Amino acid sequence: MSTATTADGKRYRRSPLRQALTSTWGARLTSYVAFAIVWQLLAWYVDRVPGPWETLDFIWREVSGGSHGGVRPGEFWEHFSATLVRFSIGLMIGFVLGTVVGIALGSSAFMRALLSDMLLVFLALPAIIWAFLTTMWFGLGWEAPVYTVILSAAPFVAVNVAQGVRSVSPDLHRMSQAYGVPRNRQIRGLLLPAVTGYLFTGLRFAVIISWNAVLLAEWFGAVDGVGWRARLWYDAARYRGFVGWAIIFIAFIFLLDGLVLSPLQRRAFRWRESAASGDEGLGGFDAEELASIGS
Amino acid sequence: MATLHIENLKKTFPAHSKGSKPTRAIADISFEMSGQVFVSLVGPSGCGKSTLLNIVSGVDTPTSGTVEVTQDGKRAKLGYVFQDPRLLPWRTVMQNMLYVSDLSEEEGRANAKHYLEMVGLESAEDMFPGQLSGGMQQRVGIARAFSVSPDLLLMDEPFSHLDAITARSLRDELQLMWNATKKTVLFVTHDVMEAVQLSNRIITLAHGGTVFDDVAVDLPFPRKASDPEFAAHQAEILARFETMESERADRAG
Amino acid sequence: MGWAAFVGLWAFSSSFILDEFTLPGPVKVWRAIWEILKSGAFFNDFGASISKTFIGFGIAALVGVPIGFLMGRTRYWKAFFHDGVVGAGSVPGIVYAIMALVIFGIGFQGPVVAVGLISMPFIALNVAEGLEGVDNDLLRMSTAYGRTERQTLRHILIPSMLPFVFAGVRLSFAIAWKVEALTEVFGSSNGVGFQIRFAFQGFSITRVLAWTLMFIAFLLVIERALAILERRLFRWRTWEQAA
Repeated sequence: MSTATTADGKRYRRSPLRQALTSTWGARLTSYVAFAIVWQLLAWYVDRVPGPWETLDFIWREVSGGSHGGVRPGEFWEHFSATLVRFSIGLMIGFVLGTVVGIALGSSAFMRALLSDMLLVFLALPAIIWAFLTTMWFGLGWEAPVYTVILSAAPFVAVNVAQGVRSVSPDLHRMSQAYGVPRNRQIRGLLLPAVTGYLFTGLRFAVIISWNAVLLAEWFGAVDGVGWRARLWYDAARYRGFVGWAIIFIAFIFLLDGLVLSPLQRRAFRWRESAASGDEGLGGFDAEELASIGS
Repeated sequence: MATLHIENLKKTFPAHSKGSKPTRAIADISFEMSGQVFVSLVGPSGCGKSTLLNIVSGVDTPTSGTVEVTQDGKRAKLGYVFQDPRLLPWRTVMQNMLYVSDLSEEEGRANAKHYLEMVGLESAEDMFPGQLSGGMQQRVGIARAFSVSPDLLLMDEPFSHLDAITARSLRDELQLMWNATKKTVLFVTHDVMEAVQLSNRIITLAHGGTVFDDVAVDLPFPRKASDPEFAAHQAEILARFETMESERADRAG
Repeated sequence: MGWAAFVGLWAFSSSFILDEFTLPGPVKVWRAIWEILKSGAFFNDFGASISKTFIGFGIAALVGVPIGFLMGRTRYWKAFFHDGVVGAGSVPGIVYAIMALVIFGIGFQGPVVAVGLISMPFIALNVAEGLEGVDNDLLRMSTAYGRTERQTLRHILIPSMLPFVFAGVRLSFAIAWKVEALTEVFGSSNGVGFQIRFAFQGFSITRVLAWTLMFIAFLLVIERALAILERRLFRWRTWEQAA
């Protein structure tokens, strides 16, 4: 039994159950249970919505290659890896492209005047439009998803990198010039740490946007991959299939972000006591990052 | 005339994390003040003076002991000036003054104007705090405290965050205001000189929260730093302060 | 000047780099836009999309503000809602679009619910952040001067939170607008998204671009308007930040 102290200094005993329920992880657990219950209720009420149990069952079968609906063993990995490849290639190219444009924007006022409006338009263009356009241009295949990813991610990266470059405080710059600090030390000690943070934010944006974009593009313009597979189940009105794949899709990005990107970003921001862009307070996602996830 | 009566006050803060010990902010404080007096509480950091003010103002509660703040037997009305101005940044100066007032809109405005004039800021009433300098903001804070016509005025190191020149002029202003309104003031500071200039009674607290000294300062107002009698008084009180410091150092060493 | 560059680059690419079919030039697209405006389809579909977005937004606020308030106040509620709220904000738009289609079929409820679900996290989290960011010194000043809870709420809590909530609304509007269109692409009988899908199925790159440009123009105009509004509402912040 544990004891707790009230404001007036008196102590009283709390039952362990109550303590567990009211703790933070108890609260989280309760919310998941509540969610599962609401989901099941929805599934009973609306005919077409699959319930949590059958969806999980589906996921298991699909991933392990069990027999259902003509799915071959190993087929899961074929599709998943196809999507992963397109995602990675598109992401890398988009990231490089965005960084180049971002540096240009951040360091030159002329470039800013010339390109900002264009950048705004590209930022506002939803991934679905790129999915449509690239499908119309390249037909069904791997091109549409990859180009969609590049075109969707690059603008966000550019904006963040531009901010990063501009954020290098002119005061610090003047200080290092006054001290006669050599150029490469300036870059390493001054420019890089400031920009790294923004690069990271841009990277996280890019990852999430790219992942969503590839799904969207594959839905309309591919012949294999996660998006295409999810569509297959949807067209066949087998909604547990669609929801199952959606969950796989979402789970992957949650894991990637939570296990790889967030910790990396926290390390990159160690020197900043206020951790403005990598705000831990809300599960590693701050308001800005949530913004991009939806698109 | 407000009366502040403190008897055997103790305040201990519980341990804030595993393994640390509870903090005893105030060991034992007793004193009483009433009427038109300006009392300074002086002491090094850690002597509990801010904690004491928190308890007197009701923001915090004592662990044991009595604290009575009364005016004619009822609970006294308080005015409070903090180290930082604590003005609502999204409201104008006038709106800030009105926020703490319980008067009607019309009366409140007239009242606020009166006190803003006293601190020389009547032209700033429609400005936002962000547009004013630190010293001006603090003057609004002082005007605000006076404007509620408090029975007891609490001041917690109000000039410690200002530059020396601004602080000096605000001290003179405060002295004039106090002379004009003759309130009961409890003034906390770590600056002995400031205490000698402003108050007619100085209570010195020792580290750990006990009363070390309690002296009256009988110089006439207004007090000038250049006055030799004033300087003598300062030297004397400073000497006593330094005795306390060295006693503490001896015990620690 | 940037706009001139944009249009110039576009015209150049469509005439010389690619061809007029692959990338219709600005003139062609402008004519298509004009057609759409004349035909009245603009008012019909744009109006539908706008109203769905705003209704969804309204629902998001109705649900999000109380949740954010609870989250900002107590540790328990913060932990309870946190994963759900963050999760709702990280579901890809396409998933919302399809789920809306599955549950609601073709109609207006789908887009409205999708917008509501994706905007709610922004509002809730910003309300929570605003509440947590309230200056404790000001609250203590309020107590010292004997202010009631209602006065503290009205003069300190709400003005503290407002900038955050507004920022959240600005940010989420763009997302909401995009999700709304996406949901319409999948399952709707009117709206901007519907028209874009229609154009896609008709293989008309020109019309896809026309509707897209109108879509973007609306977004940029609203964002600009919100930015101006923000600057006026929060004049005091400029001085506060400079101080």
